[in-house]
Amino acid sequence: MTAVPDIEFRAVTKRYGAVTAVSGIDLAIPPSAFVALLGPSGCGKTTCLRMIGGFEQPSEGQVLIRGRDMAGTPPYRRPVNMVFQQYALFPHLDVEENISYGLRQARPRLSSREISQRAGEALAMVQLAGYGRRKIHELSGGQQQRVALARALVNKPAVLLLDEPLAALDKKLRTDMQIELQNLQREIGITFVLVTHDQEEALSMSDFVCVMNGGRVVQLGQPSEIYDEPADLFVADFVGKTNLLSGKVAGLSGDLVNVALADGTVIAARKRVPLSRGEAVSVSLRPESLSLSAPGSGALKGIVRNRIFLGSTAEYAIEVQGIGSLLAKADHVIGQGNLFKPGEPVAIGFAAGAPLAFPHAKNNGTNQREDQNAEILP
Amino acid sequence: MPKSYRDGLPITPDKFVDQLMRLKRGSISRRDFLGLTGLGVATAVMARELGITPTPAFAAENLGDRMSIATWPNYHDPQTFENFKADTGVAVEVNVFGSNEEMLAKLQAGGSGWSLFVPTNYTISTYKKLGIIEALDMAKLGNFDGKSEDARFTAEGTIDGTIYAVPKNWGTTGFAVNTKKLSKPMSSWKEFWDTAMAEGDGRTMVHDYQLTTIGNALKYYGYSFNSLKQDELAKAEELLLKVKPHLFAVSSDYQPGMRAGDAWMTMCWTNDGAQLHRDIPEIAYVLGKEGGEIWTDFYAIPKDAPNKPAGYALLNYLMNPKVAVKEHLANGAPSTDARVNALLPKEVLDNPILYPAADLLKPLEFGAAATLTDPGRAELMARFKSA
Amino acid sequence: MSETGYKPKPDNATGGLSSAGSQPAFPMRGSLFRKNLVTTLLLAPAALWLVVFLVLPFIAIAIFSVGERAPEGGYQAALTFAQYANLPARATAFWNTMVLAPIGALACLLVAYPVAYYLALRAPQRWRLILLAMIVIPFWTSLLMRTYAWMYILGGRGIPALLAYVGIEDLRLINTPGAVLLGIVYGYLPLMILPIYVSLERLDRRLLEASADLGATPLSTFLGVTLRLSLPGVMTGFSLVMILLLGEYLIPTLLGGGKVFFIGNALVDLFLQSRNWPFGSAIAITLVLVSVVVLIVANRISTRLSGARRVDLI
Ligand SMILES: Nc1ncnc2c1ncn2[C@@H]1O[C@H](COP(=O)(O)OP(=O)(O)O)[C@@H](O)[C@H]1O
Ligand SMILES: [Mg+2]
Repeated sequence: MTAVPDIEFRAVTKRYGAVTAVSGIDLAIPPSAFVALLGPSGCGKTTCLRMIGGFEQPSEGQVLIRGRDMAGTPPYRRPVNMVFQQYALFPHLDVEENISYGLRQARPRLSSREISQRAGEALAMVQLAGYGRRKIHELSGGQQQRVALARALVNKPAVLLLDEPLAALDKKLRTDMQIELQNLQREIGITFVLVTHDQEEALSMSDFVCVMNGGRVVQLGQPSEIYDEPADLFVADFVGKTNLLSGKVAGLSGDLVNVALADGTVIAARKRVPLSRGEAVSVSLRPESLSLSAPGSGALKGIVRNRIFLGSTAEYAIEVQGIGSLLAKADHVIGQGNLFKPGEPVAIGFAAGAPLAFPHAKNNGTNQREDQNAEILP
Repeated sequence: MPKSYRDGLPITPDKFVDQLMRLKRGSISRRDFLGLTGLGVATAVMARELGITPTPAFAAENLGDRMSIATWPNYHDPQTFENFKADTGVAVEVNVFGSNEEMLAKLQAGGSGWSLFVPTNYTISTYKKLGIIEALDMAKLGNFDGKSEDARFTAEGTIDGTIYAVPKNWGTTGFAVNTKKLSKPMSSWKEFWDTAMAEGDGRTMVHDYQLTTIGNALKYYGYSFNSLKQDELAKAEELLLKVKPHLFAVSSDYQPGMRAGDAWMTMCWTNDGAQLHRDIPEIAYVLGKEGGEIWTDFYAIPKDAPNKPAGYALLNYLMNPKVAVKEHLANGAPSTDARVNALLPKEVLDNPILYPAADLLKPLEFGAAATLTDPGRAELMARFKSA
Repeated sequence: MSETGYKPKPDNATGGLSSAGSQPAFPMRGSLFRKNLVTTLLLAPAALWLVVFLVLPFIAIAIFSVGERAPEGGYQAALTFAQYANLPARATAFWNTMVLAPIGALACLLVAYPVAYYLALRAPQRWRLILLAMIVIPFWTSLLMRTYAWMYILGGRGIPALLAYVGIEDLRLINTPGAVLLGIVYGYLPLMILPIYVSLERLDRRLLEASADLGATPLSTFLGVTLRLSLPGVMTGFSLVMILLLGEYLIPTLLGGGKVFFIGNALVDLFLQSRNWPFGSAIAITLVLVSVVVLIVANRISTRLSGARRVDLI
């Protein structure tokens, strides 16, 4: 394989009447990667996937698959397959017929021996050997999910598209399927594009995460990058848990800014975009970057309001006067266990470089589409 | 009456509505058409069997305020009933029927609710036999004058010296021909049937009524209209089956087809013939010289009439020549009553369709009761229709 | 392949049906009973209606059918199967009907399917209801009137009169087999369109996309998915129209000139003309049995072709 991306978006915009679902996206998805399209409901993820699948045409721009412009190519001529939300399995066909459906469409025709052999392999691949003659409605949700997967993969697509494939499963099954999907991707070696609104899922499964908001791509990177170096306030807030503290830029020193928080405390924070003195900013502090100690030291002082002991960690809700409630997460080391109790005063510290300052409100589309959260089913 | 038969087409909206209203009133054609919609009979039959319909209690001697009459479509001057109501306070509900059989079925089922109805001659003996019609109390019918009636028409209303029905009007069954389309003059049933298979191919209608269709086929061979003889009926059947593929329709609703020009020739009753000829002069009415049917429609009162006093009152009112003459002008059929004829205008009396020449009338036969109820003829008709 | 670290899942734990497939989760007996009682009470009026207007008449007809025709017509009590033995006397009528009903229903289907398809899958959403209403509303007026309208349209003063203007003389459209077929298609179209529309409307559009996604051309998607999944609607419409056609008498009489004789016509004649109620009843009973057979067959076909779905008439 050369460096031709499996999927490429060039200035793609998609409008539905007055609604702009996707606006001016440029995106290149490298081959053989597990890519997650992550974003809140209504941000345009499904629309992007459907444009790759050929169910929607871009209003502007081009979608390329393996370097070929797909304009005018109908879904049935595209080298991609999709695992639909709620699977969209054919209720009138049994499991094997569902799986071999795509093989039967192949021209020139495949021999029936080849069809049944490949269908059998696909069944085995998703651990459903022996289920071939079952009716779809006789399967559990997890089994249906795997049939959908096999039905798509049996066609050996260049890219597998998955639209919220795990959303309908319960938590335990979802975790299992996450691992299974990852393994499958590694094994088959084709690109998986997974749409999800679940940031944990995106971070845990994918090689690359493409964070979308308001119809745009706001950040593309490896999961750790996205988590550690969010491109903007929206990403910081949406991916993982974080504390957002508002303040004003009090001074600039090289890569850092000094931010005066609401209670007057001044802390040093890294910045991702140029900031000017006096500008309103939000400072992001991940809960696990906070360290708690007995009163006396630390940048901030507060009182423990609530504690959730989780075994290896403990989460604290800490009330800081003038700033509000902060979430802190502390590792728990066995034997060393003086946990803070609710009502106790604590000092809060953090490593230098942990705080990240973002311009306030500007370029913050977080809630802009809150009212359009409904999933659009075609 | 004729007014409502202006089947003007191409359809203008108001004419179309006219047609629909006509349909609603049920005034389409005399005998058979309503049978199409008359599934009510089956219900009535069941109701009787299940004892659902109560038999109405007998009313006291006052006339009450309503009654109902069963009759034929386009058979009365509506004004007659209005006037009757003005005179007596009794509102008349008019039920129109498609066939004698249907009337019979309804009466037989019981609870018809009629206090007067209009049976045709050949059904009266059956009604009498079944005991469902009243021996008329002539004292209540002062306007009826037996002496002014033509005995030829009244005979079948009287059984064993008792009067069960008094005549309304009479008529004949011949055929109507569109002479523009079929210009060869015709005067016999033989010509009717032969033409149906030649120039009239695909343009000829026969009644959906075994009495007349089989009767007139029998006439082709000169047999009796009422024949029940196996061999004669077999010949008639042979003719009918031969003609069948050439027919335009087997239907008693022949006016629309004739008026629209789709049909060129049809079996036809006097009053329809008169109407067709009046509106479309090229349509002639022909009586077969071999003979055929002559008929009389009567008035009779059902035994279970819910309002007999009003039934008698209306019947007596209709027997008044001054009233009857308007009825005849309205429905176009000839009267049996000399007093009425005396009041009819000359051009009506001179109309050969209504009053054919004596030599044409002579060979005509009244339909017989057995002709109507014969199962063999019914089956023959079914074979003809299903062929 | 299984070296992927995948652990087989205990399906039952996740509510899977794989082992419980044959025994669906019923509520407890007690609540089932209570539910049934309530259902029974709710259904009582409908059941009564059914008994009075369907079952009792049927019994009455069944009793008539083993009776005799009274000499003057009508019914006379007896216990004889002579009426049934006499059924061959209406063999032609039965034959005509058994030929016409499926052909008529098929013609109706061929017109109805594209209409239903357009309505359910192609028509703009906001027009759908209006178009549907336009199809259904004429159905509220009596079939007799609508058929009568066709009599005039096809009659000599309708289309033939217009054609006469352009020099085509004496064309006859009325009282032809074509006119009957037209009347049947026209008269029963809504009954065919509606169930098909409903099944197409219910069709999960994503199945069509899934099919395209798997490489199926629009034609093979139509044949393999759309048509297959709309079969219950097709069979419902088909059996509905077919059963009604088994008893049809009006359209052949009015638009066919009464020259073609169907079982419906035989019934009308037997009840209203020759008043042979026992024979008419025997034919009616036979017709009901034929209808039941048609329904069962339609149901079988539908079940076989589209999985567990059934013809909605049953
Ligand atoms: N067929 C459609 N017609 C109109 N608007 C649509 C359609 N599909 C999607 N949208 C709109 O486009 C936006 C993006 O939708 P979608 O791609 O489904 O979001 P996501 O999958 O991220 O939740 C939403 O605002 C949605 O309302
Ligand atoms: Mg979505």
